[in-house]
Amino acid sequence: MTESRGVRHRGHKAPSPAPPLTGAETTPRDEKKELGPHEGQSKPQQTGFAPADLLKTEYLVHVVGLTYTLLSFWTRFYKIGHANSVVWDEAHFGKFGSHYLKREFYFDVHPPLGKMLVGLAGLLAGYDGSFEFKSGEDYTDEVPYVAMRMMLASFGAAMVPLGWYTAVELGMSQWAAHIVALMVLLDVGWLCISRFILLDSMLLFFTVLTVFCMTKFHNQRTRSFSFPWWFWLTSTGISIGCVSSVKMIGLFVTALVGLFTIEDLWEKFGDVSISVQDQLKHWTARVICLIFIPILVFMASFKVHFMILTNSGPGDAQMSSLFQAGLDGNEFADSPLEIAFGSRVTLKNVGYGGGLLHSHAHPYPDGSAQQQITCYHHKDHNNEWDILPRWEEPPYDPEGPIRFLQDGDVIRLQHPPTTRFLHSHRIPAPITKLHHEVSGYGNTTIGDVHDYWAVEVVDDLQRGSRAAVLKEGNIHALTTRLRFRHQVIGCYLRAANVNLPQWGWKQVEVTCDPENNPKDRHTYWNVEMHRNERLPPGDIEFYHSPFLVDFWHLNVAMMTSNNALVPDPDKEDILASKPTDWPFLHLGLRMNGWGDNTTKFYLVGNPIVWWGSSISLGLALAVLGVYLLRWQRKYVDMTDGEWTHFLYVGKVALFGWALHYFPFLIMGRVTYLHHYLPTLYFAVLMFGHVLDHLVFSSRRLPLAVKATVFGVIASAVVGTFWWFKGVAFGIDGPIGEHWGLLWRKSWNIYTQ
Amino acid sequence: MASKSPQAPRLRQRQVAVPTQDIDDSRLHQEDHVGEVYQNPRRRHPVEKLLETRRASFIVVSVLTALAFALRFYKINQPDQVVFDEVHFGKFAAHYISREYYFDVHPPFAKLLFGLAGWFVGFDGKFLFENIGDSYTDNHVPYVGMRALPAILGSLTVPVVYAIMKESGYSTVIAAFSASIILFDNAHIAQSRLILLDATLIFFLSLTMYSYIRFKKLRYLPFSTEWWTWLTLTGAFMACTWGSKVNGILTVATIGIAVLIDLWDILDVKKEGHTMEYFWRHFTARAIGLILVPFIIYLSFFYVHFAVLTKSGPGDTFMSPAFQETLSGNEMLLNSQEIKYLDTVTLRHKDTKVFLHSHIERYPLKYEDGRISSQGQQVTGYGHNDTNNNWQIIPTKALPEAGRGRYVRHGDVIQLLHVNTQSYLLTHDVASPLMPTNQEFTTWPKDDHSRHNDTLFYININEGHDGDVVKSKSGHFKLIHGSTRVALWTHTKQLPEWAFKQQEINGNKGATEKSATWFIQDIIDSEDEDFKNRTEDHVEPKKPKSMNFFRKFGELQLLMLQHNAGLTASHPYASSPINWPFLLSGISFWTENDSQKQIYLIGNIVGWWTCVISLSIYVGILGADLLARRRGLDPIPDPVRNRLWNSTGFFMLVWGVHYAPFFLMSRQLFIHHYLPSHLASAMIAGSVFSFILSETVNYPVSVRGPSTRAHPKQYADLGIKAPIIFVGFSVAMLVVLLFFAPLTYGTPGLTGEQVNARRLLSTWTLHFAAKVTAEVV
Repeated sequence: MTESRGVRHRGHKAPSPAPPLTGAETTPRDEKKELGPHEGQSKPQQTGFAPADLLKTEYLVHVVGLTYTLLSFWTRFYKIGHANSVVWDEAHFGKFGSHYLKREFYFDVHPPLGKMLVGLAGLLAGYDGSFEFKSGEDYTDEVPYVAMRMMLASFGAAMVPLGWYTAVELGMSQWAAHIVALMVLLDVGWLCISRFILLDSMLLFFTVLTVFCMTKFHNQRTRSFSFPWWFWLTSTGISIGCVSSVKMIGLFVTALVGLFTIEDLWEKFGDVSISVQDQLKHWTARVICLIFIPILVFMASFKVHFMILTNSGPGDAQMSSLFQAGLDGNEFADSPLEIAFGSRVTLKNVGYGGGLLHSHAHPYPDGSAQQQITCYHHKDHNNEWDILPRWEEPPYDPEGPIRFLQDGDVIRLQHPPTTRFLHSHRIPAPITKLHHEVSGYGNTTIGDVHDYWAVEVVDDLQRGSRAAVLKEGNIHALTTRLRFRHQVIGCYLRAANVNLPQWGWKQVEVTCDPENNPKDRHTYWNVEMHRNERLPPGDIEFYHSPFLVDFWHLNVAMMTSNNALVPDPDKEDILASKPTDWPFLHLGLRMNGWGDNTTKFYLVGNPIVWWGSSISLGLALAVLGVYLLRWQRKYVDMTDGEWTHFLYVGKVALFGWALHYFPFLIMGRVTYLHHYLPTLYFAVLMFGHVLDHLVFSSRRLPLAVKATVFGVIASAVVGTFWWFKGVAFGIDGPIGEHWGLLWRKSWNIYTQ
Repeated sequence: MASKSPQAPRLRQRQVAVPTQDIDDSRLHQEDHVGEVYQNPRRRHPVEKLLETRRASFIVVSVLTALAFALRFYKINQPDQVVFDEVHFGKFAAHYISREYYFDVHPPFAKLLFGLAGWFVGFDGKFLFENIGDSYTDNHVPYVGMRALPAILGSLTVPVVYAIMKESGYSTVIAAFSASIILFDNAHIAQSRLILLDATLIFFLSLTMYSYIRFKKLRYLPFSTEWWTWLTLTGAFMACTWGSKVNGILTVATIGIAVLIDLWDILDVKKEGHTMEYFWRHFTARAIGLILVPFIIYLSFFYVHFAVLTKSGPGDTFMSPAFQETLSGNEMLLNSQEIKYLDTVTLRHKDTKVFLHSHIERYPLKYEDGRISSQGQQVTGYGHNDTNNNWQIIPTKALPEAGRGRYVRHGDVIQLLHVNTQSYLLTHDVASPLMPTNQEFTTWPKDDHSRHNDTLFYININEGHDGDVVKSKSGHFKLIHGSTRVALWTHTKQLPEWAFKQQEINGNKGATEKSATWFIQDIIDSEDEDFKNRTEDHVEPKKPKSMNFFRKFGELQLLMLQHNAGLTASHPYASSPINWPFLLSGISFWTENDSQKQIYLIGNIVGWWTCVISLSIYVGILGADLLARRRGLDPIPDPVRNRLWNSTGFFMLVWGVHYAPFFLMSRQLFIHHYLPSHLASAMIAGSVFSFILSETVNYPVSVRGPSTRAHPKQYADLGIKAPIIFVGFSVAMLVVLLFFAPLTYGTPGLTGEQVNARRLLSTWTLHFAAKVTAEVV
């Protein structure tokens, strides 16, 4: 274990001697010094910790780190602009970046930080946001795509030195740390995904950074409340905030930090020698740095998001009506204020994540088989409804006196494109079976009393309570919140973010709830768009909807859309893969067209890295099992310190991997190969750890064996990288001319 | 802080932590409370002494059992109609009696018992329990006898719960408390009065727990006869639990985990210094008692199952042809014929039962969604007999004049000639009418050889081997297209009017797709002279073949697993597991509109909420104990802690293992899946009740072995409080039970207002509720 020592003990060179109580790690490790034999490069260290050696070691670590950084930038930047067309999800994320530059409000399932950085990269590169980023299209001259890709690839490049330093901080021997760094450097999957305008490079960077900060913080544990201790704790918190603001997958590494912290605090809690004050200080520090700071970072990213996107854009309909009214270029302010019979309106569900009441000319597949009614988050003519009087009353007369809509009025809502009426009856709704189905029924001449809806005013955001509205009288667009009660059944029109299956295009189910829950926001609606030529245009002064409301609303909407991304059993998605396909690289993913003239990119890992790291996970569990059994039989295999260290690194790697892997198995969402990329990092750490434990730090194996193992593995990683580099750097010409890439029969690299 | 001063005798009062100066001294004594906690049994409260006598205990358990029978048999003939899942389980019992093969996701033990019960009371198996609400009386079904079986088992669960608590060392009152939570529970009663599997499951679960506890108590007398007996009984009851319902596998998991923990302790060299050889003896004993024995018993259920069900029935089609050929009267057996080339046959899809059909009409050039077709002749799936279903099998190789060479074999390349239009079946890379991802099927004139290659199909028998001959009816095969490798496939979607709403046929790119299976229904015509001899009238029915039991067993197990996972359709009364402990939703079992009667499965809210509160208290106690011990405090005396961690911990394990997995399941879930966990939570409630009232326990409960260190005995003493609280609690339970009795027993009918009164939680979706119409102000 010697050669690692110079590295691992960097935390301990602090002059202040750690109190013996806490340091199960300190003492045994010092003993190890005597036990540990001889390893090649570290010969000088054997004499002990002379300051000069320490300096040298530290120096060496940075030299190596710098070397890896340079190599890393070379791999990430090499021929980065070679494919001058929009590759894969650049179509999405490039477009989102453009929206920031044009400051148009858009909607997406991912949090905004990563996309804002894409926008920033565009801004710095001098891009004006005018390009449409259609999939597969060639970039025009105005788009500085190379500069944008390079800026984003820098995040991917930074992974490599971070990987190296993390391995060092985890106390791996230098050989193991080299293996980790080489694998991070030379995995073609990480390489490939980092070279485009995608969020993954940032996600990977922040994930790796979080782990790095956490290990740094861990190594400060004997110096509680010192400046470095606070620094790394805070950095961990900020990093968590960033990773979660790039993609929700960041929550998994957050969970890892959470578990680590809980264990740490549990240890502290059992340490009777720590005073109560210090205990409280420890707890408070973590709550502030690991809970408040990340939440602040997350919310700040949304705040900036809202501050940048002040123009009306394609994502408006996801947000509340009031928020939309506050966007520039929105015409709500000009629409008439008071609703009257004959008005054409769109109805917005007030619940968080609510959409617009919608219908389209497709029937329900079962139930009444009448026309579908849904909630929809995009603006089109199918969201519009005409307010009409009951069948018994004289039909609406465009010439007659204007009749304003009042609380308690019974109305029919007609869908102009299909002339159907909003209708409900005692048939179970398609998903929420205990509610009644809402359908579109009849036409301008056919209809019945089941088309009647009583309007109930809930309150008004500007005028206050229901009583205030009733006193003043009329119902206002945007601000008055309404409920629609079915006249015959007495149920309430409701939409609660339940997605319909594919036959309903994953839009939100609309039901009629027989229970009267006056507090249920999902039964509240407000008029959003309002058109009525006979009424004067309103000049409404809006108050802005508060940030926290918008923030929550947008997050609920993101969740709902995310939940709608479930695999469609009727449709074969050749890009999607199952989590079980990942660890052993059962499938690769074509990132763009496969024509002979395009530059082709194939998302697939370095097989040695993927297979090796997956095997190491099983091996680690087996080794752990053997140790536990032997421990129960009271065999002493390791000193306490070694055992703690073996467990610590193993836990970081294993829990990190499990937290990034098992949730995908449970999720109903569509999963893709690139979801495994953050997971892979922990597997690689485990690979280094297992090798370190079994080989490089072994007391029994001679140096020659260790050198051989290192040589074989390192050259295998380098060799496979060289063999597969084309899939990340781009393959030109007919794929058939590139021989020998089909390492698993299931890859679709050559054939359909 | 030391929790107790070593000098003070530890009696019934909780020891208030005395701040002592000499921490070291107190630590010395902390490890063992032995000396301090001796107690004289005669100094207990007289009530406790009275109740702990054998006689009192016997009287209590007798009363509980008698009440249990009374509550479960009361009006058991009501309603005289098929209720809820009696539709399934009654039907299965009928199948046993008529010996017709059926298929179900649950193992057969409980259903065999129902069959036995039905046979015993003279049920002839003719009534098939088709719909909820079908009358038993009109159909002369001796349903009371069949319902008596779960009622008996459900009633017996109550004394078993009592016995479990007694064996675990709790006072009579506590045991009665736990038993009464089950005794007065509406949900347990409702489930036990109907032909459902849960009562059997729960009864055998409780027996498994009981046996395991008895076994555990003999741990100082390992390998004694008694020890072996209880070990084997645990295994046997476990098999019965598992054999009753698939959920029973969770009981197996529970015992498995408990045994692993146990073995881990035996492995600990520090504890008693056992040798590895000793450990392996223990290991082997448990492997025999808890793996081998249960497995043999579990197998034997299926052995009986197959032995009874020898006739063809509704379950045939789930099984493989080889399996079906073991059932007498199966169609396959009657006239399964070998197919020769140039035979004219009809092909039928296995799942949807449509015939491969073609007619002169062509696909429209343009579909509604704007996609383009080949405008070729339509190929559809048609459900009825028609000459357009006739296809002739054309060889692609030279045939010998006569002999075995003329048979169609696995892996052969064939063409299918549509007889009426004289055109070959063809598929090509054109999207099908309804699914853009799948290929269109059409036909191509016989004389035009330009597209010969697209008319070639491999005929691959499922699980076939080279040389196997394709047989009509029994031979299930896939038809794989030669050049594009798609499989001939159909699904239940109908084509529009232009194809007469017939079913769409298309080419599925997943060539391994299970539902792409076809078989040859009939041989219509043949070039062969002996054709007449091969048609059904001329063939003697064959004898049922036999099949290795283990192969049958394996096949059925696999199917059960697949179908269980496939039960994902939504159901109005399905609920998510998080609702269950809080009793947020029930299931409507049965309703009768005229009399406004209904059966609604809902638990006794007093009992269920007591259980939930107890669970949280229990978790709180353990958490507090962990935290305190982490800080070097020791608030709970060792015997009590042992009880909490080991005995109550076992109940908690049962609870957790029977509950948590449901969160991961995507199949439809119902509140009655929680009943096994509810049983365990009733025991936890008893334990917590005991802990709250007193810090005393009966200890030790394990049987002393020759080498065990003598622990001074301690006795639980709950005083007079416990019986009083117990009586009060039971009365409350009984009142609630009676209040909800109309929903549990399905009689008498309730008015709308009465229904509303019983709707304590708004999430209970009772029928016949009076409408509370909200006024529009």
